[in-house]
Amino acid sequence: MSLRKRMLDDMDGDIRDHIAHETQDNIDRGMAPDEARYAALRKFGNVGQVKENTRDVWSFVWLEQLGKDLRFSLRMLRKNPSFTLVAVLTLALGIGANAAIFTLVRGVLLRPLVNRDEDHLIFVLQNVNGVADPSSVFSVPEIQDIRARVKTLTQIGEFSTNPFTMIGLGEARVVRGGVVNGSYFEVMGLHPVLGRLLDQRDDGPTAEGAVVLTYRFWTTVLKSDPSVIGKTVRLDSLGARSATVVGVLEPSIPYPAETEIIANIVTSPHHLSATMVTGRSHRMTGLFGRLAPGVTLDQASAELDGIYATMVKDYPEHYSKTSKVHIEAKLLRDQVTSRARTVLLVLLASSGLIFIIACSNVANLILARTVRREGELGIRAALGASSGSLRRTLLAENLLLCGAGAALGVLVARPMVAILARYASRFSVRALELTVDSTMLWVGAGLALLAAILLAFVPRLPSANASQGIAHASGGTRVAGGTNRRLRIFAMVQIAACFVLLAGASMLVKTLLSLQAVQTGLDMHHVLTFTLPVTTYGRTPEQITTFYRETLRRIKDVPGVDSASMGAVVPWRDSGIFGPGLQFTTDGFVRGAGEDYPRAQFRPISPGFFASLGVPILEGRDFKDSDRQSSEQVVIISQSTAQRMFPNQSAIDHHVTWTDPVIKYIPGFVGTPLRIIGVSADVDDEHIVPGPLITVFLPFEQMPFAGRLFVHTSADPYALVTPITRVVHSMSAEQPLERAATLADVRAEVLTPDRLNTFVFSGFALVALIIAVVGVAGVLAFSVSARTREFGIRLAIGAQPRQLLAGVIIQGAVMAGLGILAGSLGGFVLARLASSYFQSVQMPGAIVVIVSAFVLLAAAVIASALPAIRAARVDVIQALRAD
Amino acid sequence: MYLPPRMSTKEQNERIEMLQGTLDLLILRTLLLGPTHGHAIAKAIEFNSEDVLQVEQGSLYPALHRLIKRGWISFEVGTSENNRQAKFYRLTPKGRRQLVVETSKWDKLAAAIGRILRPAEQEGDS
Repeated sequence: MSLRKRMLDDMDGDIRDHIAHETQDNIDRGMAPDEARYAALRKFGNVGQVKENTRDVWSFVWLEQLGKDLRFSLRMLRKNPSFTLVAVLTLALGIGANAAIFTLVRGVLLRPLVNRDEDHLIFVLQNVNGVADPSSVFSVPEIQDIRARVKTLTQIGEFSTNPFTMIGLGEARVVRGGVVNGSYFEVMGLHPVLGRLLDQRDDGPTAEGAVVLTYRFWTTVLKSDPSVIGKTVRLDSLGARSATVVGVLEPSIPYPAETEIIANIVTSPHHLSATMVTGRSHRMTGLFGRLAPGVTLDQASAELDGIYATMVKDYPEHYSKTSKVHIEAKLLRDQVTSRARTVLLVLLASSGLIFIIACSNVANLILARTVRREGELGIRAALGASSGSLRRTLLAENLLLCGAGAALGVLVARPMVAILARYASRFSVRALELTVDSTMLWVGAGLALLAAILLAFVPRLPSANASQGIAHASGGTRVAGGTNRRLRIFAMVQIAACFVLLAGASMLVKTLLSLQAVQTGLDMHHVLTFTLPVTTYGRTPEQITTFYRETLRRIKDVPGVDSASMGAVVPWRDSGIFGPGLQFTTDGFVRGAGEDYPRAQFRPISPGFFASLGVPILEGRDFKDSDRQSSEQVVIISQSTAQRMFPNQSAIDHHVTWTDPVIKYIPGFVGTPLRIIGVSADVDDEHIVPGPLITVFLPFEQMPFAGRLFVHTSADPYALVTPITRVVHSMSAEQPLERAATLADVRAEVLTPDRLNTFVFSGFALVALIIAVVGVAGVLAFSVSARTREFGIRLAIGAQPRQLLAGVIIQGAVMAGLGILAGSLGGFVLARLASSYFQSVQMPGAIVVIVSAFVLLAAAVIASALPAIRAARVDVIQALRAD
Repeated sequence: MYLPPRMSTKEQNERIEMLQGTLDLLILRTLLLGPTHGHAIAKAIEFNSEDVLQVEQGSLYPALHRLIKRGWISFEVGTSENNRQAKFYRLTPKGRRQLVVETSKWDKLAAAIGRILRPAEQEGDS
């Protein structure tokens, strides 16, 4: 039992005992019993009061005091609902934005991965000419060399991205797949939620086909059906194999690619082919490793880089002469978030700015209010309240404001996190598994406390000098010059911070607008694209080409279809699937000493492809049905290719020859010259901002890679989806046909991250603008009301209301101007600082800066109009009498 | 500095507060003679001051609790002379030291007030 409890427990008894003693004493002195008792009670005093005072001894004085201050503040705030509302809303925005962003940053950047000992789990990253290649891939001979020599890593896991057509679990579908070796899951340190994962017994070319499903695929597509374990599926990728589903992987970060299934090597004939096993420059496998005990990242990086350098020296013909590759061991956690880091840090900085703006604004409100309360505070000081206790009263008030703001902020932060997580998932898969937890509450509370303490020190307290305090009390509002200056400074801070956000947002808007306005050279709204993967199961190459030819023929018969063709790449969506392209040369081209051959993207297409996409053929002819496997090997090149390789002459009937060492591993490629039969207009399907893309088109019958269907129609494209699907399924019920979209929608889908970026930052800037405008208006309104008397006098001696109006508006404009100046200086320094840490920081263009400044200035002028009108309408008599 | 537990305007309260320091000192001084219970302390103070200090006896209790809390006195439950369970208060070593401090403080204060009341010197600090 605590001392406090033991003491308070028998207080009644103690008092009764005391009074009994006293009564007995009185009786001993000769009083009558009744009289003796009354005298004793009188002498003791008010029993209730004594008990209360005694209990007070044990209470936490400061806590009770704070409680009292809080109750007092609550009453004060209730009397000023508009002040309270504005302050709480402003703080809620500031705190909410920060809590949401911080939750995101913590979830994506700071939380450890689920993988066992994740601080030892590394990804082997290649830096090509100093730029990190997120898809860093190696060839099997390279991996064998690395594995034989490396000592700083205990184990190496191999993963290669490989799409499969999967038949056997529900509808036939194209799945994003990964092919892994036996040590992959051991290295990753992951566990199954069902069945088992792949291990050494699944490794090598003689194992049984085995497949692990990823958690998302199992829960969403298969509805968490536990009976999938043990089922047999047919996997098709350049040849079909069957495999048994052995387990389901726990939720984890997919890297380098999102996958639906992860299969062992035997499921992919390509992985067993000589191409894969012996081709040193056939690189498609990403490497993961575990640091040996006591080894640092730097040591591992140095060793790996050394091994790579030795390989380059030993096999110079397999390595590019112009690009210098360096190898780095990077923690998987950091690699997974590398793209999100910049975006999130910029977001964090922006929300920090919002917090500054919100606090400055509330500081302004509080300053103005304190000036109006100078009388009250003065009286309290004169009555002996110490400056500490006055501070405490103000602190209590701020705590209430900030607490309410934080509560509201955390409420709005929840949906904000959901939106932001979807946004951030474009940059890091980690955002998908984001959960809102108590951190957000702590962040909210922390920020609220910080704001409250900062704000409590904003107003100057009246001195304890009683006469001055009383003078204020009776004399009404008087503005100290110092307070007014502080108000202005806070308003300018707001404008400066707002300007930085506004300029950033304008830059993004401008980029987005220019991206959307870009002329792609394609018939965006009338071309419907599908993914129509090549399925090889049980088919000869002839049957495959026949299948496509017949499918196209039938689709062309569908009413509304102008033309239909096959290609290999859906513009922008599939960008990068063929890597940086292949090295090639043309008749008479001489490469410089120490230079590589130029690279070209290659595109297998069917006849009619250019017509379907609305791309003109500038010279020569399109492919024909007669350009088959057995006939002459021909190509069409893009205009840029023609201009680059054949300046000032026709490219027709010249030849293209593939020189890339990789081609001997890719079926369909030959190293012999291919005759150029046509030149097309440029089609840049790789880049959102079109550039001159060096492209070589090949007839798809000579290289049956094509897996994309293009249909041109002048009717509603989406109305064709059902009839076309019916046609394809009538050809083969197992043939998947997916992801129907017009080119315009594909582009919109690809631009989503940019649009979201713009949306989020514009939202921030808008919030900042609103708060800053309210701030400027508030400061001016306050200054006008404080100068009523001055205005009255000026009007009385003949000033025009117009002059007063202009004066106040100019005041607002000057404040905004100075703020913008400070903002552009600060922003410039910030951008400079940022650009030394991040590669992709750009300075906004002059137009953007000018437009932002203009918007802000306009907003400030509008904000000052209201108080200005009030100044111009001052009633002279009233004003003079006011003091 | 001691913050008054409540900023009440009640006169009664103010008076108790003003007497607080003094009362604490007197309690400590009384307990120097040996442990005793609440009523006996009140009696002793009245008796020793020859009934000049007419304290409301109730105000003794907040003071006792405060001293317990500060660790200057301790208590044990015993039986009083009229056979009741009562708390017997005892001076702790810490309280004994505090008594010396408080006594010298009081002497200073008394001297200072004395100087003010006898018109001679400037105001003293408390």
